[in-house]
Amino acid sequence: MVNNQTIVEKIVSRAVGKTVHAGEHIEVLPVDKLYFNEVIAPPAIINFQEDFKSVFSEAQQKNSGEISVWGEGGKTKLKVFDPARVCFIPDHTVPSCSVKVAQGVNLMRQFAADQGIKMYKEGDGIEHTVVTEEGFVRPGEVVVATDSHTDTVGAIGALGFGIGTTEAEYALATGEIYDFFIPETYKFKVTGDFLPGVSAKDLILTILGAVKEGGCSKKVAEYSGDTIRRMGMDGRFTMCNMSVEMSARTGIVNPDEITRDFMRDTISRHPELSQELSARMDAGSLASVKSDDDATYASEMDIEAAKIEPQVAMPHSPANTKPVSEVPDEVNVVFIGSCTNARHTDLAEAAKILKGKKVHPSVNLLVIPASRLVYNWAMSEGILKIFADAGANIESSNCGPCFGKHMGVLSPGDRCLSTSNRNYKGRMGSPEAMIYLSSPATAAASAIEGRITDPRRYVAS
Amino acid sequence: MNSRVSGKVRVKFGDDINTDYIIPAYILQEAWDKKFFADYAFERYNPDFVKICRSNKDNIVVAGKNFGCGSSREQAVYAIQYNGVNAVVAESFPDIFFRNSINNSFCVVKVEDVSDISLGDRLEIDLEKLVVTVDGPDGRFQKQITMNEEERDLLVSGGRLGKVKERLKERLLATN
Repeated sequence: MVNNQTIVEKIVSRAVGKTVHAGEHIEVLPVDKLYFNEVIAPPAIINFQEDFKSVFSEAQQKNSGEISVWGEGGKTKLKVFDPARVCFIPDHTVPSCSVKVAQGVNLMRQFAADQGIKMYKEGDGIEHTVVTEEGFVRPGEVVVATDSHTDTVGAIGALGFGIGTTEAEYALATGEIYDFFIPETYKFKVTGDFLPGVSAKDLILTILGAVKEGGCSKKVAEYSGDTIRRMGMDGRFTMCNMSVEMSARTGIVNPDEITRDFMRDTISRHPELSQELSARMDAGSLASVKSDDDATYASEMDIEAAKIEPQVAMPHSPANTKPVSEVPDEVNVVFIGSCTNARHTDLAEAAKILKGKKVHPSVNLLVIPASRLVYNWAMSEGILKIFADAGANIESSNCGPCFGKHMGVLSPGDRCLSTSNRNYKGRMGSPEAMIYLSSPATAAASAIEGRITDPRRYVAS
Repeated sequence: MNSRVSGKVRVKFGDDINTDYIIPAYILQEAWDKKFFADYAFERYNPDFVKICRSNKDNIVVAGKNFGCGSSREQAVYAIQYNGVNAVVAESFPDIFFRNSINNSFCVVKVEDVSDISLGDRLEIDLEKLVVTVDGPDGRFQKQITMNEEERDLLVSGGRLGKVKERLKERLLATN
């Protein structure tokens, strides 16, 4: 048994087949899973065809026609490294908001069909939510995807990295990334219970406010302590999701019984994955995906959960945080959604506050569940009805206005409170709009009042 | 890429310039051609950027810490690169932006402190010696570049594509 290792070092050691530690240069890192959204897949597919066509035809000639190419009269066929370990998820601006977006989605669909890659449909959900719910990404895996919020999958104990078009195109060909430096780990140890009305979002905003936008640069953020051990998967997703906002390489949580429950739930919906996932859930195999007690950390921070107040990130930085009690600012748009905060408990918390209430007359409340699974669950639980009765606009699952291209783009002068992860100037539309970030509970209370409101007033009553 | 890159400092930014500032999201899906993104560089953050770069050549951008943080969009690299910018010199870069730059043979170099580099200074970046020579009104001085040997070699040799093709070829021939 290998000792002195962080979960990151263990995952990389398993991937490269030898014991490695932070700081080491890994020339070739094999990846277990690779997924694409519709922002990056179209150029990556085109570049993949351009860059590797000659290699495939050369190999085809040498192998007397065994390898046949995609797309051009069926002469030479390009093949991705392993179609079962790749998936495509159109999520940023679907249903398609422009002709070019629609063309891109169709290009993905055609390529996926030809290669045998699983292509999800518009509305199936936000990529990072879908890959975990569907059992595509599993604890202990090395995962890369064309989005910086791939760190979200760290919540189930996978090592997820956001990559650009070129690295993704190379990984599509070989299943590898290159010249990887094993990052050190920054341990955030959280202890105690949250006060009512306080949730994972308030915790990660508190951490961001303390370490700032560059505060976890080059390092992985590992969340541990009894608060995290009791935290449900939805909260863990929120924590890991915003790790990149402090420039962390990724975020991660050691898998435990709560992770197993999450996987059991996946198996109940996908019995065909039972064998594979059960093997992963086996105590022995999960124990190998866990930081050792004597692992070495580059930095550590202790946080007391009970001291955390609901937080708001002020314009124009996610690290520009203040306690909600100090922010009485008016808002006219409230967005409950995104890969940060649109899962079951997020929507349930918001609905609890909005039940029987009306959205303030001057507020446009947008609610976008993170996936079709969450959407349909929220419908069957009556949660969507609570939002609808309150006067919310409910949209099919996608990234929504967080990406600044559709479903609620902001005008100059708009003041938006969002449960998403970035409030950069211009992120959701006009650079003259103001964007604030908060938890779903704070967003719901604020939608009722028309100004940023402490959710504890509603939680207590 | 040549191991010597030079130009004049045309734009200087502070810390934490994110890729949303470099290229806004709404334009990302509207083209699959890298050059397209040049027209939209810093559109919502510094609307003069494109004008300044287009009316000059051999431009260099200087920035503080954490240049290129946030979204993984590689279009941020194209947007700068295709405005005649030869290099970005900054106090630090987050990994995704740094790796995306190297993959496009775009010169990004890290130096300890940029406070003594001013607009209009002429910079000469020597990737062999890992020094930046700054030529300004107060004379000429040098700054050390922090860069791994692997990263430097990749940048000078023009990225990883050749290596990836080799690995793919080996695999294709081995499996048949």
